[in-house]
Amino acid sequence: GKITDKTTKSPLLGVNVVVRGTTNGSISDFDGMYEIRNVNMGDVLVFTSIGYNETEVKVTSSTLNVEMLESTELLDEVVLIGYGSAKKEDLTGSVDVLSSKDFNQGSVVSADQLLTGKMAGVRITSNGGQPDSAPNIRIRGGSSLSANNSPLIVIDGIPVDNTNPAGVGNPLSLINPNDIESFSVLKDASATAIYGSRASNGVIIISTKKGTSGEVKFNFSSDVSVSNVANNIDLMDSKQYVSFISQYHPTFTNLLGVDDPNTTATDNPLTAAIEGRIIGDTDWQDQIFRTAISTNTNFSARANLGGKIPFRGSVGYTNTGGVVKTNDYERVTLSVKLTPTFFDDHLKVSVNAKGLFSDKNSIDEGGALGGALNMDPTKPVFDDSPSNRFGGYYQNTIVDGNRLLLDGQSNPLALLKQRQRPEQVARILGNVELDYKLHALPELRAVVNLGLEASKANIEETFLDNSISTYAFNNVDTDINTNYLFNPGVNYSEDQDITNTTLDAYLVYTKKFEGFVKRFEVQGGYSYQNFKNDGTSVRYKYNEETGIREELINPNNLNNRYYNVLNLQSFFGRTNIDLADQFLVTLSFRADGSSLFTKDNRWGYFPAAAVAWKIGNAGFLEDSNTVNDLKLRLGAGRTGQQDITGAVGYYPSSPLFEIGSSTSQYLSGVNLYSAKAFNPDLTWEKTTTYNVGLDFDLFANSIVSGSVDFYQKETKDLLARTAVPPGQALSDAFVQNVGETESKGFEVNLNIRPISTQDFNLEFNSNVGYNRSEVTSLKDVTRITASESGLPTGTGVSLAYHAVGYQPYSAWVFKQVYDVSGDPISNAFVDVNGDNVINNDDRYYETLRPNWTFGFGLNLNYKNWDLSSSFRGQLGGQVYNARRLTSGWIDKAIPNNSNSLSNVLDFNSDAATTSFVNVQGNIPFSDYFLEDASFLRMENIVIGFRVPNFLKDASLRVYGAANNLFVISDYSGQDPENFNSIDNNFYPRPRVFTLGLNLDF
Amino acid sequence: TKDLDTDPLVELTLEELIARDPNAVQGIVSRLYGSFALSGPDGPGSSDISDDAGESPFLRGIVNLQDFTADGIKNRWGDDGLDQLTTTSNWDENNKFFRYLYNRIYYTIPQCNNLLSVLENVDTEGKTEVTSEVRFIRALAYYYLIDTFGKGVLATEENFGSSAPLPEATRAELFAYVESELLAVVETLPDSNDYGRANKAVGNMLLAKLYINAEVYTGTPKYTEALTAIGKVITNGGYTLADNYVSIFSADNNTSSEMIFPLIADAITSQSYGNTTYIINGSSSSETMTLADYGLTDGWGGHRASKGWYGLYGDLETTTDERASLFFTEGHSYEMNDYKTWTDGYPPIKFRNTNALTASTAPTAFSSTDFPLFRLADAYLMYAECAIRTSQNLGEALGYVNQVRERANAEPIDAADLTLDFVLDERGRELNLEGHRRTDLIRFEKFTGSSYVWPWKGGVANGTAIPDTYKLFPIPLQALEANPNLKQNNGY
Repeated sequence: GKITDKTTKSPLLGVNVVVRGTTNGSISDFDGMYEIRNVNMGDVLVFTSIGYNETEVKVTSSTLNVEMLESTELLDEVVLIGYGSAKKEDLTGSVDVLSSKDFNQGSVVSADQLLTGKMAGVRITSNGGQPDSAPNIRIRGGSSLSANNSPLIVIDGIPVDNTNPAGVGNPLSLINPNDIESFSVLKDASATAIYGSRASNGVIIISTKKGTSGEVKFNFSSDVSVSNVANNIDLMDSKQYVSFISQYHPTFTNLLGVDDPNTTATDNPLTAAIEGRIIGDTDWQDQIFRTAISTNTNFSARANLGGKIPFRGSVGYTNTGGVVKTNDYERVTLSVKLTPTFFDDHLKVSVNAKGLFSDKNSIDEGGALGGALNMDPTKPVFDDSPSNRFGGYYQNTIVDGNRLLLDGQSNPLALLKQRQRPEQVARILGNVELDYKLHALPELRAVVNLGLEASKANIEETFLDNSISTYAFNNVDTDINTNYLFNPGVNYSEDQDITNTTLDAYLVYTKKFEGFVKRFEVQGGYSYQNFKNDGTSVRYKYNEETGIREELINPNNLNNRYYNVLNLQSFFGRTNIDLADQFLVTLSFRADGSSLFTKDNRWGYFPAAAVAWKIGNAGFLEDSNTVNDLKLRLGAGRTGQQDITGAVGYYPSSPLFEIGSSTSQYLSGVNLYSAKAFNPDLTWEKTTTYNVGLDFDLFANSIVSGSVDFYQKETKDLLARTAVPPGQALSDAFVQNVGETESKGFEVNLNIRPISTQDFNLEFNSNVGYNRSEVTSLKDVTRITASESGLPTGTGVSLAYHAVGYQPYSAWVFKQVYDVSGDPISNAFVDVNGDNVINNDDRYYETLRPNWTFGFGLNLNYKNWDLSSSFRGQLGGQVYNARRLTSGWIDKAIPNNSNSLSNVLDFNSDAATTSFVNVQGNIPFSDYFLEDASFLRMENIVIGFRVPNFLKDASLRVYGAANNLFVISDYSGQDPENFNSIDNNFYPRPRVFTLGLNLDF
Repeated sequence: TKDLDTDPLVELTLEELIARDPNAVQGIVSRLYGSFALSGPDGPGSSDISDDAGESPFLRGIVNLQDFTADGIKNRWGDDGLDQLTTTSNWDENNKFFRYLYNRIYYTIPQCNNLLSVLENVDTEGKTEVTSEVRFIRALAYYYLIDTFGKGVLATEENFGSSAPLPEATRAELFAYVESELLAVVETLPDSNDYGRANKAVGNMLLAKLYINAEVYTGTPKYTEALTAIGKVITNGGYTLADNYVSIFSADNNTSSEMIFPLIADAITSQSYGNTTYIINGSSSSETMTLADYGLTDGWGGHRASKGWYGLYGDLETTTDERASLFFTEGHSYEMNDYKTWTDGYPPIKFRNTNALTASTAPTAFSSTDFPLFRLADAYLMYAECAIRTSQNLGEALGYVNQVRERANAEPIDAADLTLDFVLDERGRELNLEGHRRTDLIRFEKFTGSSYVWPWKGGVANGTAIPDTYKLFPIPLQALEANPNLKQNNGY
């Protein structure tokens, strides 16, 4: 018989057909056809397919056509694998699928938040608590050193750009999380190699919801959230600070607080007593933080237009407040999806358009967060004296001749309030896919997918009146009371257009056979991707005579243009063979060309092979009641990496000159031209992955299911930005193909469904991933600096190295010596090699990145109630407590070229000790600053209730959620979860409480 | 697949550059000269190298390594790395301030090699002279390598583009190379050239500096050769001492008759946190001074002279030497009991961002004062030193020394006073904060050991001995890591 969708009448593949009460079953093929033997009249066939309601039909004839009704549950049996799809049970590679019922819930603004902690070996670390925070996604640890380590993200078949538009922090904010149907994460090379060059770090395929049903269905959802900062950094309050300054820096007590205008007394710097000062009490962190309210509203409609064209459309509005004042984020998303079929289903068309408008007020995070840490707590926030020039904000100043100059730190609240930097982005992602099954040869399909990703971004930084940042002087006026001015208005602006075009075209030939070879599929195609990023900016300077801000004209590049193009082209092929319904073989090959390399080094070749043995289908298990499904997978493949644009731009292989800007000229009468560094030898980084995996589904009702994977990855010709041998390139550091790394790991996904009844469902899910990488070769050298590991002690001091024999990105540190009471002794390190000299030979490596990551959660449904919760964390790894480096030493409090004091960590608590007077020389490299970064975070907990009999044909669910309720960790700082393992000026991840409703009608 | 050949629009290939600007080669030469003062091609916030744009420029490195390590001036910021330089203590390969100068040296050298390779295939006017200039610039960069780190690879246009790490060249090998380069180009340099560019006198000045320090660099003295070269500078260069000492260090010093080779600065068109801006802003603070008096909008409150410098003038109240008046004393103490206290020691006001000969313009954020890397008074004192060391031309030597002194209204000296010790002191009085002092002290064997101490030498208020190994700086860790052929200097 044939199985079709009741509404669309399209054939359904992968439907399980079982004779009720037996294990006798079958599955429908691509055309919806099924065949089942040994069936008697009167037996009942049970048709099941995830995404459809279970259907039972009594056998009345030898042909039984069945229509199935789509359920609101989602389809996850068919998995997208890149240029096609496959039944999950036919997969040969390591692919994890997450569908909407398993998504994280609660406060979710972007797609990555749905996924965090849900999959083994996929580590997602947000950059911080910003509403638009960029996620760092690492699948199996990432392979490269300096090249892009983020996975390729494919949305509805379109590989999206790695480069964000200006003003977009998170590339995944492009898509409304409510539109997402499922994620497929391709982890091993046998799965990813079909994507070739961009797939070394895995692939995340996102598919969006479709319209299908006959009747029009609407969904409306809305939530409101309250977020705040769970814990401030442990600084001194005013009282503690006064006592600290009096004790350690008695000659600086005259700088505490502000001058008391009501007394003529002045502080004698020689005594610790404080005379003639008003001592304020300000918690600057509280001043810059707020309790933020966010709302999120979505509406979607699904229909079958004219009975012919399945349609889904959605609109979403998000208004998210960051916990730092003025950090507001608004987003509108629109999406339309049409999936008509023509010519008796021979031509399937899929049209997608997604639009996004976002408007973010970007804040100066370093200025605000760092400023709040440093600012003297005895200073007031406001100054209402008539002589105040700065809009009522307190600001430390000093008289210099006839000018009142700013002195020391700027008021961090004023910095936030007096500046606006709206970053507005309009972005569209659209594609048209035509999938044509030839009339003459139905085994052959031709697929063409055209995609366009375009964005327009505009940034405009403006200052309000009396803004400290625009304070300037009129040189003509010599009167101190009148010779200053402010420059409200635009201070910087930037316009950017990104236009990315993609084209995929391929042929697929599928043939089924009786006999040993059951199915044979071969496909081949071509892919074109072009990424263009074109922008201009307006810069300003302050006139030295008048103090007026004016445009800074660069005659050699009038609108400060930048123009970056990356082009990738590929040829690919794949074949799938099914042997006896037991063995699956996949072979694939891809050739990729990248514009980043010279002609000679341009093409990379990426083969992969995999076999799977469906043990569950083997004779000895076919009748088992215990084993529903059991599959062993073996795969090997090679992928490539070329994306080094983040480190060295878009033209790294050819010699180019840059014209000096108007402020960087030298000899008079000629333009200055600078030869840019380049490396003509650059070529592909290659990663070979071997993977062994086992998928299992055991006991009735799939009580236990999951997968286990072991893998080994070897990467060679690593692209890394590294120091070059001095004198042998046009700068001191550039990207080179430097060496090799090796990674090993395993992953376990385990789901347990102990109870599944009509009224009561309980499911536990858990995952754990272990990954250990090691640098095995760096060609001529033994270690290279990890450029992203700069310590906040001046600039140019790095903590981490990639060193042969150690995990990449390991801290190279000295072993701290402690006194009897357990406090560190300043600048005292263990002479590890015993040569009586403390030098770099005594340093050792500490692993920074964790080896173990895990997540677990539960879903519980009881009648109309549901409860879900998820936790995640890491074991091992270290975080560098840079707060102690920036604010944990005694002399930090006193100024070095101004008259303003700085706050420090509370030396009376465990935040810091008074052991360090300064942090010079090798002190920053002490392992004292490293702390265990293991943690367990409660990601979310959600309780929902489905209101019974709400309205006819309508279903209402209300829920309450809490995100980031607590973190369990030994870390003495604020938050141990830090991607680069250096905790400095970190935007705190908020704790969020949400109330929401979801209405289907 | 031709889309794979992407075409940049903002950056230019050599062919595009030459098609667009007939002066393109001069523009690249401008960049090479500028590499001693600028931080990068896109304003003072950009950097040619991976180091901090503000802290790393070449000239800033010269001041940090040559003057703050010596007797005359100390920085008070306590910045990690700089603090160790200013107190000549705890030097090690991890100190980023050594790396800054090293990376700048090895930025300029391959940039020169690149242009020399380009010039082989390009027809341009005055190709011979331009080639000579580029070789001079490269020799100047190598001179600083020889002087400060003592060794390093010899990167030339011959091995340009090779990726296998080059072998380490000794100090003597580098010396021989720079000497041969300078001898090869000095006669092809023009007699006179645009302001800020090398001519014969500039070439001879560098050759003389190489020779005068030859004994330190190679163990073989070459004072006679130095005397010959410096004689050519004096006789053929056409330079005269400026009438007004302060005018050599003011914003209008580009007109000075004494300037042999400047590092150019301009408040609008040539901005850098590492040109004279570093010297002038760094030596000023509104805590005790009025910034506008020196043409500044920012005072960084960093550098103050110590009695190691102003002690050379005798009693500051009574001396007639005008150079002794170029310290800001009000509110400051003579003794530098704590080098980190701004008011301990006198800020030098020798360099300033105001005009000396014409009316000054408004205070600016960046300096317009050029840095006199080579000037005639230095040549005179070098002549005197070589004359004494070789016992010849002593009469002329005395005349030159007294010209320098009399210009500053200091008492002339007698022939009997003309000793090496006197010349060293006179060089301090005349040339401190001009990037020569550490080299001078080493040449006179006063830098290391205990024969001469100054405030905060060795990290002690009254000064103490430092080891002989401090005559060279440690090779920066980054270089050792990038080229395994490089070996650390002794003692580090």
